[in-house]
Amino acid sequence: MKTTENAGELKMVTFALGQQTFGIDMRSLIEIREWAAPTPLPSVPSYILGVTNLRGTVVPIVGLAERLGWTPSEIHSRSCVLVVTIAGKQAGFLVDEVNDIVGIQEDSIQPAPDVEIQDTNVIAGLVQITTRGKDGADAAATMVLLLDLDALTVATTAAAGIVPCANAPVADTAPVAGAALAIAA
Amino acid sequence: MSDELDEIQAIFFEECTEGLLAAEQGLAAMQGGDTSPKTIASVFRAIHSIKGGAGAFGHAALTAFAHRFENVLDEIRAGRIAPSPGVIAVMLGAFDKVSDHVAAAQGTIGLPDDTASLAALEAILANPGGDPAPVAAPAPVPEPVPVPAPVPAPEIDPFGFEPVAVAIEDFSDDAAEAPSSGEPEWTIVFAPSRDAMANGAEPVFVIRELEELGGRVSDVDATMLPPLRDLDPEQSYLRWTLKLPGCVTEDQIGDCFDFVAPDSGIDITRDAGAMPVAPHPVVEPVAETLAPLREPGAIHDLLHRVEVASPAIIAAAAANAAATSSPGVTPPETRAADAGSQTIRVDLHKLDMLLNLVGELVIRGSILSDRLSPADQQRVELPEQARLTREIQDTVMSLRAQPIRQAFNRVPRMLRDLTAETGKQVVLETQGETTEVDKGVIEKIGEPLTHLIRNAVDHGIELPEERLLAGKPAQGTIRLSAAQKGARIVVTVADDGRGIDRARVRAKAVEKGMIAPDTVLSDEEIDQLICAPGFSTANTVSNISGRGVGMDVVRSNVEALGGRVDISSVPGRGTTFTLVLPLTLAILDGMVVRLAGQRFVLPLAHVVEAIRPEPGQIRATTPGSEVIEVRGTYLPVRRLAQTFGLPDDNPLLPEDSLVIIVESETAGNVGLLVDTIDDRREVVIKSLEQNLHPIRGLGGATILGDGSIALILDVEALVAPVTALSRTLARGLAA
Repeated sequence: MKTTENAGELKMVTFALGQQTFGIDMRSLIEIREWAAPTPLPSVPSYILGVTNLRGTVVPIVGLAERLGWTPSEIHSRSCVLVVTIAGKQAGFLVDEVNDIVGIQEDSIQPAPDVEIQDTNVIAGLVQITTRGKDGADAAATMVLLLDLDALTVATTAAAGIVPCANAPVADTAPVAGAALAIAA
Repeated sequence: MSDELDEIQAIFFEECTEGLLAAEQGLAAMQGGDTSPKTIASVFRAIHSIKGGAGAFGHAALTAFAHRFENVLDEIRAGRIAPSPGVIAVMLGAFDKVSDHVAAAQGTIGLPDDTASLAALEAILANPGGDPAPVAAPAPVPEPVPVPAPVPAPEIDPFGFEPVAVAIEDFSDDAAEAPSSGEPEWTIVFAPSRDAMANGAEPVFVIRELEELGGRVSDVDATMLPPLRDLDPEQSYLRWTLKLPGCVTEDQIGDCFDFVAPDSGIDITRDAGAMPVAPHPVVEPVAETLAPLREPGAIHDLLHRVEVASPAIIAAAAANAAATSSPGVTPPETRAADAGSQTIRVDLHKLDMLLNLVGELVIRGSILSDRLSPADQQRVELPEQARLTREIQDTVMSLRAQPIRQAFNRVPRMLRDLTAETGKQVVLETQGETTEVDKGVIEKIGEPLTHLIRNAVDHGIELPEERLLAGKPAQGTIRLSAAQKGARIVVTVADDGRGIDRARVRAKAVEKGMIAPDTVLSDEEIDQLICAPGFSTANTVSNISGRGVGMDVVRSNVEALGGRVDISSVPGRGTTFTLVLPLTLAILDGMVVRLAGQRFVLPLAHVVEAIRPEPGQIRATTPGSEVIEVRGTYLPVRRLAQTFGLPDDNPLLPEDSLVIIVESETAGNVGLLVDTIDDRREVVIKSLEQNLHPIRGLGGATILGDGSIALILDVEALVAPVTALSRTLARGLAA
């Protein structure tokens, strides 16, 4: 499945969130946008910050920090939204700062240990990368948490408690109606 | 590669649907007394191409059944079996089975039991009643020599997967053995393209079909065969030369090549042997003119899709085209004739993309008009641009429009099943099938229609004896009609049955605890009860209806489309269900309102009036529940900002806000408290589900002139919980 031009190599976008450096697989990335306040949505979990217009498509914006159970990111001039595609759906993730695009060897990814995140399932693994020093001097080793985007979206829907057909206008009574159906059947 | 195959299969199933449609229309016409050769041929062709495709994809059961069906049709076409009502009835049954087989091939249902239908077809074949000379007169073939039955009597069992029936053993000297008839033989050189099998065009099926016509493989050219280690088992390397008896018509041969891969080499020649018949019967110049006239079959399609144009293939297509204007049958002008050459098949996705882009154009247009002063707008001729954009949008919308016939078509079949099951007699009258509706609407009203028809037969129409006692004809009538009224489509399902038994509905609702025994309900409210989830009055749960999931499905599907269901019923006279549906799902006439500073779009269809309330006009009844007095009537009021839990630092006083009175299906008129009205405009509906999930109270989102997103309010969902009836329902159901 994972074939790139260089076998075993994976391109990864790294970004800062809180005190950590995260990475996502480049292939999921659609674009990086500047932060612009999205239109808030009613009755959604707090980590869904709202929806925004991405060239005519309505795309939800997720606060990645809140999603991971951390305190919400503070918005500053370097705040960015990474628009990714997960399982055919698009979503934007608010992150503190985008760092770099790095190539890593897939076999250099180590399994995720316990990190300070509510569910560790969203971490696909750990990678060590060497960052270019700011002044071109010493290169430092940094640990990158590689995010498993698929896990993020599944959890997103589950946590929001979504019934896909909840379009029914009497959604209020829907669960009750289900019970009544069971009786009637 | 399997994707590609799936894609081709999908095209096949699409064609099956079209074929079934054509066949059903033809059969219905025959039932109505039109037994012209043209009609019969259209049915025959439809079944034939389904069979061909099914064979190519290895749907053995479908192929076998369609084959038998086709045999009967062929006999009718040739005039050897008279299309009597009895025969047509059997064929209608057979048609239903073919539909089932197609569904089974798609994996949506299990394999149907077709033994009864097969037996009935066999019986017709075995006893072609009233035919003087069953075999003596074969279909008038252009060839002068009448040779009996070209098809060898022992059929190859289509179920059998006996490894490749290509008779390679009778290669060499058998060529000399057959032409004893003195007929000029056909020589066919068939070289499937390399990736024929990858495209699902298994050459064996073609060869087998040719063999059924009496063909023999006279040579196999294996020179292209690579050494074993280089051999890709999924590629086709061989080239076959087949000999077919001269009595086989060219059309029959052409039919065998209905489903071959593009780029295949097909060369059909008649040996200029003993008989001086047309040395090269393939009329190539005609090919191009004839091909577009043909039923949109596989080759035709492929011709358009692939840059083939090897003369051989065109020849094959010509043969195919000729098949339709085949011996003895008058050239049929079918759907293909009125639609064929003028239509193209377009991926729905592309249409949606186009619609999306036009939507963007509209948005850009409104951004421009927001930014330019009226004078500047005139100067750059923006109004003209806007008008053109609107026209493009309308045209693109109309591309998605389809005749509602597509949704109605499944009804006759269903009725046949239902009447057989219940012993009731029902005739169907349809009206306005040509009304055009957005494809999305058509897709979604199928299920509600099914439920309504089932209900009408099960609950509405009485048994014949009962009807006679009531002074009605034994045969019940269900009228299905569609019409466009303004921006809405009105679909009605009316029966002349017993009507809704309101006393029973009421009793049932009380029994189920849906309403309190002392609730006062109007007739309309009682009628609406049958749409409540889990409601059913049928005494026995039948296969047809009575499980209590029917009417609420109807209502929720229709409402999900932004439509509504009206019920009117006269005891003893019948019930009419009216579905009022939007013409399109993509554009909405809306009012832009502000709630806690945020913009929302309120569908204009719901809006009755806007009121600036006087102090004291809004009064609290119970905590969290308010009413507004409008000209002597008290209407419930909902503060939308609160409903949505919007953070509002300094909420406006009611007298500084606006109350918009909206009408709703579920709750009648309700007032919605909003801050202000910003604008009124047509908005392009964008789905939230596409990237997120549906949210209660929202019908979607749209992009406003400044590029920002506004959420579209779903009025029905917003007002539903406050109404007395649904509250009672909810409480009752919870108990």
